[in-house]
Amino acid sequence: MDPARRLGPAEIDVFAQLAVSTLLLGGIYALIAVGLTLIFGIMRVVNFAHGEYLMLGMYLAFWAFSLLALDPYVVLPASLVIFFVVGLLTYALVMRGVIHASHNVQIFTTVGLSIALQNVALVLWTGDFRVIRPWHSSVVIRLGGTAFNLSQVVAFAVAVALTIGLLLFMRRTHTGRVMRATAQDRDAATLMGIDTDRVYRLTFAIGIACVGAAGALVAPLYATYPQAGLQFVLIAYVVVVLGGLGDMAGALLGSLIVAAVEVAGSYVFGAAWKEVLYFVLFIGVLVFRPAGLFGQRGAETLGA
Amino acid sequence: MRWLAPGRAAAALLFAGAAVVPLLSRDSFFLDSVILILLWGSLSAAWNVAGGYAGQVSLGHAAFFGIGAYAAALASARYEQSPWLGLAVGVLLSIVAGALIGYLSNRLKGPYFALSTIAFAEVLKIVASRWRGFTAGSEGIPVPYRPGFWTLGLDHVAWLYLALTLALVCYGLQVYLEKSRVGYRLAGVREDEDAAEALGIATRRLKVAAVMLSAALTAVGGSLWAQYVGFVDPAHVFSIDLSIRFALNSIIGGMGTALGPFLGSVLITMLETYLRATFSGMKAGFSGIYLIIYGTVLILVVRFAPEGVTGLADRVWRRRGAARAEAA
Repeated sequence: MDPARRLGPAEIDVFAQLAVSTLLLGGIYALIAVGLTLIFGIMRVVNFAHGEYLMLGMYLAFWAFSLLALDPYVVLPASLVIFFVVGLLTYALVMRGVIHASHNVQIFTTVGLSIALQNVALVLWTGDFRVIRPWHSSVVIRLGGTAFNLSQVVAFAVAVALTIGLLLFMRRTHTGRVMRATAQDRDAATLMGIDTDRVYRLTFAIGIACVGAAGALVAPLYATYPQAGLQFVLIAYVVVVLGGLGDMAGALLGSLIVAAVEVAGSYVFGAAWKEVLYFVLFIGVLVFRPAGLFGQRGAETLGA
Repeated sequence: MRWLAPGRAAAALLFAGAAVVPLLSRDSFFLDSVILILLWGSLSAAWNVAGGYAGQVSLGHAAFFGIGAYAAALASARYEQSPWLGLAVGVLLSIVAGALIGYLSNRLKGPYFALSTIAFAEVLKIVASRWRGFTAGSEGIPVPYRPGFWTLGLDHVAWLYLALTLALVCYGLQVYLEKSRVGYRLAGVREDEDAAEALGIATRRLKVAAVMLSAALTAVGGSLWAQYVGFVDPAHVFSIDLSIRFALNSIIGGMGTALGPFLGSVLITMLETYLRATFSGMKAGFSGIYLIIYGTVLILVVRFAPEGVTGLADRVWRRRGAARAEAA
């Protein structure tokens, strides 16, 4: 047979598969990035400990599954609540004192938090790689020459739902409007009678709840270990900066772009070099479009 | 400037103390601690040139450290040349890298600058782990030990004086940055960039120059460290942990002061040694417990003493001075 003809249908499958992989990987990145973009956008705080909350969320799902035989999807609603409370606590204990401090103080506070949390996990649960395999992670769905597993689809669906939910919350509810007002101008918001401390507390708790829940969804797909958050948090920053600060829809789109770069990059250059691509993309975006691809308003105040 | 006379006296005491250590003890553990205090102190001082004096707070200085470490290790292991040649090459490459990152990230402030430096170090880490043919990948490079100064195969005493020399150079450069015209310009850029620019200071060039100088010193430290420890691998020399460590010493000691990085290095190294001795019974958990305390100390210091130990001492010193003036 003509080799070119034999190549034809296979190639279409490859591209369909790449597209599906991009979509599903993008969903996972979006899950982690929406909480981060909320905190970054409204509080103007770079939370270097964000990945550690993801890691804790993964451990919660791991222990619930291995000790209580609870499916991560059953744990998911509980995760939201638990990590909301964890977020409130972290805000009260750590973040509240530095919310008006300089960027340097904030950076090193969250770096310290990240080191401490990582090692709490290390001391409590050792550095072993933990893997859970609930039934849905081995269900393979085949569709039009592509294959993917159910856990990824659920993660993607929840990511989209979460993003839309947060978007509606920010646009439609009074609390959401108050949060956006605080993001735009902290002083003016205070003068309008907004309790900014309450806004920050709520923002931080929602952001942490999102990433904690993301942990439950990611646990069936990736190994859980104390440094598990690190690999995702750097990507989440790429996404957040790409999408624009505090922009939920931008975070979703940014996730898809980063995922596309990663998937296409691994296909063309091999998996080993894919990370270089998105860091180069990141540096490029930071240098040329620090306000994000869509030029989010208010990003420039971050440097002030 | 603030924190002047007592700071200089403390620094003189610190360096003189390090210089007489070999006369008092030849205990290799003790000498090793002093060497590492001086090396980490010098590296933090190098970070301080960019982070403290120019306000370019980087979390990717491991990039320059790694370049220096790899240049020296490759020179002696792969090309059987003197690590000093590798050091020179590493310094040149780091200056180029520093110029590149300084120039590209110039418009970025605060967390954006820190993020871009992290990304930069990560790129180098990946390149070093994947480019197996040249760097031996993640396995790392053992550095051969060949006795002699030219090959940097030295005993502990010689290493101590070499590290002390580097420390003195770094300290001297920082003092220069405090006292000189360039230093005042740099302080202007750090405190209020727009005002500095309005006064005709070439802020952009100054910031890039500070990052380049900082990168060069960091590469020197990296090269010496590689030869001293005798092993280089990408996961360590390009790690964000290392970048944090450089910054942390300066922050604990006091950012933007000449003594700060060295003081921070003394305190952190002592804390590390003390905790290691305390928790050595709990083998697996030790590093974890040590780092939990390390993280907590960092949070507490930036919260309650954001100016570090020197800033704290300065405050106490002034209060005492004021009280004495009142009594007189």
